[in-house]
Amino acid sequence: MTHPKTPHVVDARYMAPPEPFVRTMEMLDTLQPGEKMLLLLFREPHPLYRVLRQNGHAFESELLPDGTFEILISR
Amino acid sequence: MQALISLDNAPPLAAPLRFFLSAPLFLMLAGLLLAVAGPEVFASRWLPATLALVHLVTIGFMLQVMIGAMIQVLPVVAGASLPRPLALARFVHAALSVGALLLAAGFLSGGAALLRLAALLLALGVGAFLLAAMPVVLPQVSTSPTIRGLKLSLFGLAGVAGLGVALALGLAHGWRLPYPELADLHAGWGLAAWAGVLLAAMAYVMMPMFQLTPGYPARPSWWYPPLLLGLVLLWSLAVALGWPLLTRLTQGMLAVVGLAFTGLTLRLQRQRRRARADATSRYWLAGLCAALGALAMLAAATLWPAVTVWPAWTPLFAILLLAGAFVSFIAGMLYKIVPFLTWMHLQLKMQPGLPAPNMNRLLPDPAMRRQALSYLMALALLLGAAVAPSWLARPAGILLALAGGWLWWNLLGTAWRYRLQAIALAGASDERAQRAGG
Repeated sequence: MTHPKTPHVVDARYMAPPEPFVRTMEMLDTLQPGEKMLLLLFREPHPLYRVLRQNGHAFESELLPDGTFEILISR
Repeated sequence: MQALISLDNAPPLAAPLRFFLSAPLFLMLAGLLLAVAGPEVFASRWLPATLALVHLVTIGFMLQVMIGAMIQVLPVVAGASLPRPLALARFVHAALSVGALLLAAGFLSGGAALLRLAALLLALGVGAFLLAAMPVVLPQVSTSPTIRGLKLSLFGLAGVAGLGVALALGLAHGWRLPYPELADLHAGWGLAAWAGVLLAAMAYVMMPMFQLTPGYPARPSWWYPPLLLGLVLLWSLAVALGWPLLTRLTQGMLAVVGLAFTGLTLRLQRQRRRARADATSRYWLAGLCAALGALAMLAAATLWPAVTVWPAWTPLFAILLLAGAFVSFIAGMLYKIVPFLTWMHLQLKMQPGLPAPNMNRLLPDPAMRRQALSYLMALALLLGAAVAPSWLARPAGILLALAGGWLWWNLLGTAWRYRLQAIALAGASDERAQRAGG
């Protein structure tokens, strides 16, 4: 799945925990410096936010009208 | 996974679990009280046994689980961690448990000292929780409807507790208060501004997470919590000013808003990707149907107040809303939260090379489904008892006690299996350390 913001997308909207977290960490490992990835979820993943902050990844989230949170994460 | 949990700031398991394990006992106690008191419970909402029964369910069961769940989920869904969660949980749990028992005893005996002590303990318990939660939750930026809902629900809790304490002290001291209006308002704060708002905030996260439903659409999710709180505030203003028409109008609007939310939730439930019906989905479906019934009754009563003259009206409404909707939603949530939490804490104790814990073994599905069926049968009997109390009140009480006890037994079994697995994991890890050392 690709997205206008980035070709690297994890659509975790219908995944049970902890799969969204695991998939995101796996994809982050494959990104090159300067690349970004997008995580799609129906909730804000605060535990993931803490890990991202600790590992120095910048991220921003946006809530879409259908209830999807788009979380754009920098390598 | 290790990183997820260790950085999660999750409170110790003992903090939320004490609430989840003692709450079903209050459901059992409520059933026993109904079995002993019998048909008179359905005669009037002002009878001592009726007041005691309602508060065993609302404080003993609902409030306990809601506060336990909040202590657990605040770091996960709002990024807010309570300071010293275990000490807080111990104090709040003791105050609420003893407070609920004393309140029920106070209603039953009419003892002013019991009512005063109950009001003091409940005020201390809720007050301690609010004092700990407000400074960490309110400064959070509302980046999601869930955080906004959690923040607003704390004001709902303050409102219902404040009114409840005033009413209990009023009864104890014989103050001349407008009891029917204040009791209705107390219920409005408790069920709409506190329980309704918190339930919505949790459902926004838990339904997609555990049931794999689509997300709640953003716009109604943002508006639902402030709308409920705003309507309850308007209702309070109407009571303060003595405007019964405005009271009726706000009650009708609460019914319409609640019906819209319930309808939307039912639609999302039908679209869930986890197709297999488990105990939680059954509980929630029953809860949603009961909520539709109760809210339709509320709407009807605001349009045609004469319908409430029917003796079965008030008990039917209360049973649908409390036992049908809220208890079912909460029991369904317990069946997701308790196995997930114990599994998560076992994961935390995991060492590479040791067998991974299995969530289904911590709480097997058949045990949950059978218990859920027993509760739904108790609910059917309770509804029947509202219409034919002399026949069905005692059987309904016995079945409610059994279903509450069974819920307790299932959750206790999970805690017990967690303990055994945790001991086994610690033993295996010690053995390996010794082998590596030797």
